[in-house]
Amino acid sequence: MTEEKKPEERKKRKTATEAASKIGPIVKATIGGTVRAREEGKPIAYSFICCCYDEIIRTMDIVPVWTENYAGVCGAKRDAQRFLERAEAENFSRSLCTYALCGLGFDAWREELGEMPPESPWGGQARPDMMLGSGQILCDPRNKWFQAAQRYMPDVPVYDVGLPWPPYEDDYDYREVQGYYVKYIVEELKGLVQFLEKHTGRKMDWDRLSELVDLADRTWNLIWETYELRRAVPTPMGTGDAMNTMVPIVFMMGTQEAYDFFKELNDELKHKIANKEGVIPDEKYRLIWGGGLPSWFALTDFNYFNSKGAVFPVETTYRMVEAIYNFDIDLSKITDPLEHIAWRWVKFWTYWYDRAKKRPGSHPDVERLIQYIEDYKIDGIVMHEAFSCRSWHVGLIWQLNLLKKVYRDIPSLILESDIVDISSYNEADTKARIDAFIDTLEAVKSKGR
Amino acid sequence: MSQYFAGIDLGSTMTKAVIMNQTVLASVIGPTGPEHRKLANQVMEEALVKANLPFADITYVVATGYGRINVPFADKQITEISCHARGVSYLLPEARTVIDIGGQDSKGIKLKDGRAVDFVMNDKCAAGTGRFLEVTAEGLGVKLEDMGKLSLTAKNAVRISNTCTVFATQEVVAKLAEGAPLPDIIAGLHEAIAARVYSMVGRLKIEREVALTGGGAKNIGLVKALETRLGYPVLVPPEPLLTGAIGAALLGKDIVREAVEKGEALLRSERRLTEATFFT
Amino acid sequence: MPEEAAGRGLAAADRYYQDYGSRARELKRQGKKILGYLCAFVPVEIITAAGFVPFRIKGDVNEPITKADTEMETIVCPLVRSCFDISLKGNYEFLDGIVIPHACDSICRTYDVWKYSLHLPYSHFINMPHGTGKPSLDFYQAVLGTFRTSLSRFAGREISDRELTQAIKLYNQNRAKVRELYGLRKASPPLISGTEVARVLIAAMSIPVEESIKMLGDVIEEVRQRGGVPARKSARIMVVGAQVDSVAFIELIENSGAWVVADDLCPGAREFFSDVTVTADPIEGIAERYLRKVKCGRTYREMKGNYEEYLEDRFGHMSRMIEDFKVDGVVLYIYKYCDPFGFEVPQIKSYIESKGTPVLYLEDEYSMSTIGRLRTRIQAFLELLGSK
Repeated sequence: MTEEKKPEERKKRKTATEAASKIGPIVKATIGGTVRAREEGKPIAYSFICCCYDEIIRTMDIVPVWTENYAGVCGAKRDAQRFLERAEAENFSRSLCTYALCGLGFDAWREELGEMPPESPWGGQARPDMMLGSGQILCDPRNKWFQAAQRYMPDVPVYDVGLPWPPYEDDYDYREVQGYYVKYIVEELKGLVQFLEKHTGRKMDWDRLSELVDLADRTWNLIWETYELRRAVPTPMGTGDAMNTMVPIVFMMGTQEAYDFFKELNDELKHKIANKEGVIPDEKYRLIWGGGLPSWFALTDFNYFNSKGAVFPVETTYRMVEAIYNFDIDLSKITDPLEHIAWRWVKFWTYWYDRAKKRPGSHPDVERLIQYIEDYKIDGIVMHEAFSCRSWHVGLIWQLNLLKKVYRDIPSLILESDIVDISSYNEADTKARIDAFIDTLEAVKSKGR
Repeated sequence: MSQYFAGIDLGSTMTKAVIMNQTVLASVIGPTGPEHRKLANQVMEEALVKANLPFADITYVVATGYGRINVPFADKQITEISCHARGVSYLLPEARTVIDIGGQDSKGIKLKDGRAVDFVMNDKCAAGTGRFLEVTAEGLGVKLEDMGKLSLTAKNAVRISNTCTVFATQEVVAKLAEGAPLPDIIAGLHEAIAARVYSMVGRLKIEREVALTGGGAKNIGLVKALETRLGYPVLVPPEPLLTGAIGAALLGKDIVREAVEKGEALLRSERRLTEATFFT
Repeated sequence: MPEEAAGRGLAAADRYYQDYGSRARELKRQGKKILGYLCAFVPVEIITAAGFVPFRIKGDVNEPITKADTEMETIVCPLVRSCFDISLKGNYEFLDGIVIPHACDSICRTYDVWKYSLHLPYSHFINMPHGTGKPSLDFYQAVLGTFRTSLSRFAGREISDRELTQAIKLYNQNRAKVRELYGLRKASPPLISGTEVARVLIAAMSIPVEESIKMLGDVIEEVRQRGGVPARKSARIMVVGAQVDSVAFIELIENSGAWVVADDLCPGAREFFSDVTVTADPIEGIAERYLRKVKCGRTYREMKGNYEEYLEDRFGHMSRMIEDFKVDGVVLYIYKYCDPFGFEVPQIKSYIESKGTPVLYLEDEYSMSTIGRLRTRIQAFLELLGSK
C-alpha cells in the first residue's frame, strides 16, 4: 500500500519508518496466500476486523479473508470503481458502506464468471467456506453485508457474533451491567466455536487458544508502548505510517509475526528518538487525526501535510488497543480464554468512562482526544468525514464542538471524501482546505496561545 | 377514412412533436424554453402545417416528457417510459432494452412484447446525461457538437475519477494543463458517461438487442463508448430524438382502438388548440 | 376528554396529524411527563407502565434541514436528521426525556448528539442486540431490566409487574384495532384510502394508548358507516420501507391513480401485526415480541434450513400480504443512507418478483422537494402494471 499504480502519475508515497514500508508486500503476500489456500483446500472465512475472533480462527488454522482490507487495497490502487458500479447494478445504493459495495460487487462478478474478475488486484478475493459477521455497535454492515452476499453464495453459511459494550450513561455506572455483557459475549463466542467446529470438522484446542490470547495481550501492551513513543518531539512516526502499521494490529492479531513486527518498530522508533530523527526535519505543527477512516486512494495527502511542516504524532483510527495492565481489573486472573476475550473487549470500550465522569459535561470520546492532545503536545485536530460510513463518521462534528466546549478552543479541520469511492474526492479542494488550516495553525502559533 | 394521431414530447432540453397515421407524416424538433405551454402550441401548429392538416382532424393527442402536464390540449399524459418503449418497439422490433440519454436525464427500459416491464431513471445527477458533456465541453473550450468526433481520435482515454460534473470539469482542466492530449481527455469523459449509464441500466439485467435513443444517440463518441462497455453494437433509430413522440402518438392510437373494441366512450381533452393559445 | 375539542375518528386524526404534539402539550399542562422516543423498537409498554406518556418523535418533510447540520453529519439517514432538526427548532419543547434504541447506526450513533444537544432531564439508550438466538434474547431481557430500573429511578417509584401486564394488554388492544382497520382495506375498492390510514396511524403515535384505541375504534365505525369511497382506480399497491411518518408519499401514489392497500412499514403492518404474549415475567413477553416477532431489516435473523427457506422466513409475510390484500404491485421505498434496508433491497426485490409481483424500487431523501421527482416513476410503474 505504499505505491499507487496509475499510468499518469508515478507518485510513490513516502513512509517515515522502515517498518511501515514493509507492509505493502506483507499484505500482497497475505492476499496471495488466501487465493492459494482455496486451491490447497484450507478453510477460508470472510472476516471483519476487531471482532474478537482473531485468536479463535488462528487457533483452528482457518484462513481469514479480511474483506475490508481487500476493498481498501482496491481503493488504494484506485481500482474500486468497477466493483462499486457492479454493486450498483445489483441495486445496492451508492450511499452504503463502500467497503461492502466493493466486496459485494466483486463477489457478484466472481460468482457470475466462475473465476476471478479480469485483472483482480493482487490476485483477487478468494471464495469463502464461511462468513463471520458481528452484531452490535461496531457497525450495521457487519450484520448485513455477508447476509446480502449470500445472494451470490447461497451455500456459504454465516455466523454473526453479538459484541455489545455498555453505553455511557449518567444515571448508572457501566459496572452495574458489565456482568451480563460479558456473559452474552462469552455465549456468542461459544456459539462461534461450535459453528467453526461444525463447518471445518476440526476441534478447538483450548490450550492453544489460551496461548494465543496471552500472545495477543502481550502484543496489545507492546503496540500501546510503541505508539506512546511517538510523544517525542520531533515525532518519529506519523498517522500516514500508522495507516500501514495498522495491518498487524487488525489483520494479524494473535500471530507471532504481529508481535515481532511491533518489536522491530519499537526498536526503530527508539533509535530515531535517540538521534532526534523526526518524520520531517522542521516540525512546525503537531496534529491529531481525531477520527475517521482514511481515504485509501489519497494517503499521499499525509505527505502534503508534511510538506507544510505538519506531522501527526497520534491518531484514534485503528488504535484499537490499550495497555492491558492499565485496566481496572487484573485480566491475567481470568484464565478461561473466552471470558478473557470478553472482559478485554468490555474494558477496552469502557476505558475512558471514568475519566469522563470526572469532568462535568464531558464524554469518553472527548476525554480520549484530550488525553492525546496533552500527552502528544497537539496544536490542531483533523477529522475525516467518509460519506459511506455512518458507523465511524457520525458524531465527529459533535465531538469537536464538545471538545472546544469542555476543554479549549483548538484549531480543527474537517476533510470530506470517502474510504474507497474516489469519485467523491476533489484533490484541489482538499489541498485548499489543508492550506487554509495551516494558515490558521500559524496564526494561532504566532499569537503565542 | 384515415385517423391521425399526435404525440408531443416536452423534454427538459428539446421539444418534439409528430403526427402519424400508419407512418410518421410530420415531425418537429425545437429547443425547450421556459414557456412550456406556448412552446407546445407552437410545435403542434408547426407540425400541423407540415402535415397539411387542421387540428380538428387529429383523433387523439398524447403528451409525454418532463413538461407533459403543460400541454393543455393533450387528451392524455403518459410517461416517457411507456412512450419510449412503444416507440422503440415500433422502430426496432428486435430491441429488448432501451437506453435513453437526454440533456438532463437518462433512463433504461426493459421491453417484453412491445411494452415496458421494468425501468430505471436518473434525473437527480448530471453525470450520465448530456449535461455532463455540455459543462465539461465548456470548461475545455470545445464545441459540444465536436466532442463526439474528437473522442474517436484518442490514443489512450484518460480515466476521469470524479462523477460530480463540477469536480470533473476541474479535473479535466487540470489534466489538460498537465499536458494530457485533448482527444484522450474527451474520450475519458465519454467513457465516464458510459460507465454511469451502464451501471444504472445494469440494474435491469440488460438483454440484447439494445437500442440507444435521445440526444446521446447522436453523439458518435458516446455510442462507441457504450458499445465498448457492452461488448456488442447498439441499434440507433434513424431519428433518435423522436422515439418518445412517436411512441406517444402510437399509444394514442392504441387507446382509441381499445375504446372502439370495448364499445366505450373515448375520454378526450375539452380544450382545443385555439383556446390554449388564447390563454398563453 | 379531548374529543369535544378535536372531534372524533378521522377528524381527530386529522387534527393530531396537522398539529403533531398538540395532545402531548395539553397533557404536559395537566402535569403529565412526556418521554420522546425514536423508532418502533422502543418498548412503549414499559414507558406507559411507569406512568409516562410515550411520544414518537417524527420529522417534517416540508421543513428544510438547517440547524441539525451544526451538530449532525449529513450522511446520517435523512429521517433521523429531520427529527433532530425540528427537535432543535423547538417543535418538541414539552419533552421530559428521550429514549433511543439500538435500531441502526444512524440512530445509535447519534444518541450522544441528541443527549448533549437537547439537555433533557432524562435520556436512555436501549442496547437491543441484533441476533435472535437464546443468548441474544437473554441479553435483551437484561437490557430491558436496566431500562426498567433506570426509568423507575426517574419516576421515583417501582414499576410493578402488574402495571407492565396492564400496559401490555392495552398495547395489544391497540394493535388489534389497527389490524381490524387494515381488514377494511381488503375490499375492492378498499373502504379506506392509504392516505387516511397513514394519517390515522401517524396521529396515533402522538397520543396515549387508551386514546389511540378509542380513536381507532371511532375511525373503524365511521368508515364502515360511510360505505366506501367511490373513486375508480387502476392498481392496488403495497408500500415496503422503513419509517414513513408523513402522508406525502402515500398521497403521491394515490393521486397518481392507484390505491395503497397494504404495507410493510412503520407505522404500519410491521409495527402492529404482532402482539406481546402475556407472560408471568412481563419482560420476557416484551423481549420476545420486539426481538423475534417483529421482522425488520435491523434484526439479524439466523438462517435455519436452506437459502430459499431463509428468504421465506425473512420475507414470507410480505408475499402473504400481497395475496391477502390482492396487491398488483409493490413500491420499495427506501431512504438514501439507510443501511438496514439498503443492504436488503436486492433480496427483497428479487424475492417478491419471483412470486410474480412487479416491484418499483425508489431511493429518496425524505423531503418534499425530492418526493415530487418520484411522480414520473410512480406513474410509469402504474402504466406498466396497467398494460399487463
